[in-house]
Amino acid sequence: MRKYWPLSFFILPGLLMYVIFFVFPAISALGLSLTDWNGITPERNFVGLANYKEMLTNDPIFAQTFGNNIKYMLFVVFFQTLFSLIFAMMLVKNSRMNVFYRALFFLPTIIASISVAFIWIFVYDPSIGSLNTFLTKLKLDFLIQSWLGDKNIAIYSIAVVQCWAHIGQVMVIFIAGLQSIPKSLYEVARIEGATPWQTFRHVTWPLLAPSATIVVAYTTLQSFKAFDLILAMTDGGPSYATEILSLFLYHQAFNNYKFGYASATAVIFMLIVASITLLQFRILRANKVSY
Amino acid sequence: MSVKLRKDLVVLTILMLVAGLVLGGCGQKKPEAPKEPEKTVIRFAHWRGEDKAAFDAIIKKFEAENPTIKVEQSIEGSEKHDTKILAEFQAKNGPDVFAVMPGARFANVVKGGWFLDISGEKFLEVVKPHLRLPGQDGGKQYAVPYQLVLNDPVYNKAIFEKYKLEPPKDWKGFLALCETLKKNGVTPIIFDSEIGPGQFMNPMLMNNMPSDDALVKVQKGELKLTEDWFVTTLKQFKELNDKGYFQKDVLGTKKAGAAALFAQEKGAMLAQGSYMMASNKQANPNLKQGLLAPITVSADKMKYEGIHTATFMIAVNKDSKNVEAAKKFMAFLFKPEIAAEYANATGQMLTISGVQYKTEELMEQAKWLEKKTLFQPRYMITVSEVEKAIVNSIMDVIGGMAPEKAALKAQQEVDRVIKK
Repeated sequence: MRKYWPLSFFILPGLLMYVIFFVFPAISALGLSLTDWNGITPERNFVGLANYKEMLTNDPIFAQTFGNNIKYMLFVVFFQTLFSLIFAMMLVKNSRMNVFYRALFFLPTIIASISVAFIWIFVYDPSIGSLNTFLTKLKLDFLIQSWLGDKNIAIYSIAVVQCWAHIGQVMVIFIAGLQSIPKSLYEVARIEGATPWQTFRHVTWPLLAPSATIVVAYTTLQSFKAFDLILAMTDGGPSYATEILSLFLYHQAFNNYKFGYASATAVIFMLIVASITLLQFRILRANKVSY
Repeated sequence: MSVKLRKDLVVLTILMLVAGLVLGGCGQKKPEAPKEPEKTVIRFAHWRGEDKAAFDAIIKKFEAENPTIKVEQSIEGSEKHDTKILAEFQAKNGPDVFAVMPGARFANVVKGGWFLDISGEKFLEVVKPHLRLPGQDGGKQYAVPYQLVLNDPVYNKAIFEKYKLEPPKDWKGFLALCETLKKNGVTPIIFDSEIGPGQFMNPMLMNNMPSDDALVKVQKGELKLTEDWFVTTLKQFKELNDKGYFQKDVLGTKKAGAAALFAQEKGAMLAQGSYMMASNKQANPNLKQGLLAPITVSADKMKYEGIHTATFMIAVNKDSKNVEAAKKFMAFLFKPEIAAEYANATGQMLTISGVQYKTEELMEQAKWLEKKTLFQPRYMITVSEVEKAIVNSIMDVIGGMAPEKAALKAQQEVDRVIKK
């Protein structure tokens, strides 16, 4: 073993990059979270856990923001996973038409979030927007909403945009997963007289578990980090109804100039995302089977 | 090849190289091209991308007058501009000349100590003393407002003429005006949720506030938002909303959507400000526009006719290595003939006296220089969370919350923030 030790030098560049760009900023954020630094002047005072205490016990906006993020995450994870799976199953065969549709569904993924936001701001506009106009034309006026103005639905309106923009991307992961399932298993299921639902339940879904794990974990992270879309569409409004943790962090740092407080938010944010992702991995791994 | 022969070859090569170098060195020097005088490069950072061409033309003139100075523009969106210049100042790499907004953003640069004190500079004389105030702190002039904005609703003159309406003098008159418009199928006020509350709150508050600096006192804890003056203002917002004087779904309407509705003449007033007049005109060249502010009290109690904001403040970086060149450029921008060129090219009214305005919209705005206007109260707030709490209380009321409850919610947020 000893003769291989010089090989460990090969990991040095990667390790160095990791330490400089990940470990060091993470530790420095942790350090800053214990101060009252305003990000402008060099002075900073050590305040211990005061930022954490304020955030977790006395800041109603943080609590609201956290709640918004959970709603957003649940909506995006559920609908994005569901629809991308449906589309993947419909387009799994490599026919020319299917390849065309895959490209079509994937298209929104390559559009910049800010452009997506501007497109949808005009779709949702209550007076000149195409959605309400379309509903009026179909005589479905009772469905007309203030999509981004109603505090109760604004967060879901943005979540729909997030799903629209990323379903194609997630669909590709599912297609890869579906194509790796041996065809013989489907043949056995058919010979045994399994219904399409039974085939999905006992063959497709269990063998898609690795892809589903990736999709759910990725979508969760994506919904916690959905920053630019919300910033451009509502900037967290009306009255913080669409403010999620990443936006809260940004506003604390760059609008309120409370870098210490923003760093504490970043630490909590990291812990929340890590815990949820870990939990998901455990649940999905428990469902994993192999034939 | 023998060892001796190899040695000889090495020696010969070295000798040839040395000879070449010596002979080359003895050659005549080429005559040097006349050197251009070294230029001082200064950086001008601002957020008005739409003014780039106008500034380019001005910079060209400046450089012609000052051949040893070169000016480079660096432009970012207004939010990013602030973040960027603050980071650059901390790294001692800030722009030499820069634009800054009044209020909380100005206060941040003061806190960092990055402004050069320009008190007493001769070019300040072209700006009226009361318009210089937003750029002052502790008796020192740190920045000078360049643009003068009127944060009062823009109205469609043709619609007003059609229904024989005049800008009202009191709240009763304002409500009657809105009612007439509504009865005739015209949306009285187009109000957006993006910038609307932060703009319209100013004229709505100007005559209701117990003092001009009421919002500063709120920030200091000396006045409360639960007091009558603020709750009354929220009730007036509610009245306008409940009576259907705003278009449908205010909270879902963005700035651009509201502007589009106004340009399409689907509403009589646009609750934004004078800065929209040029783009409205561009969208609809037939539009005739004026400015009016709602007077929220009876005519005899009116203190102010409207709101003004001296903004796009220009300043010099204290740590600039080219302070003299930076000041020279700043002085150039404040020359009335140069300022006029900028104003007429961009459609922005300026704080500078003696500027000749040429467009219809600018001439309309210039009439307001004689009126009694109050500096935008929102910009007197220096804590952004307090500002957001106030703006959100208006959105809450429009969203259906009772004014008293919205005021209490806002005050609780202010209390939480200022207790530190």
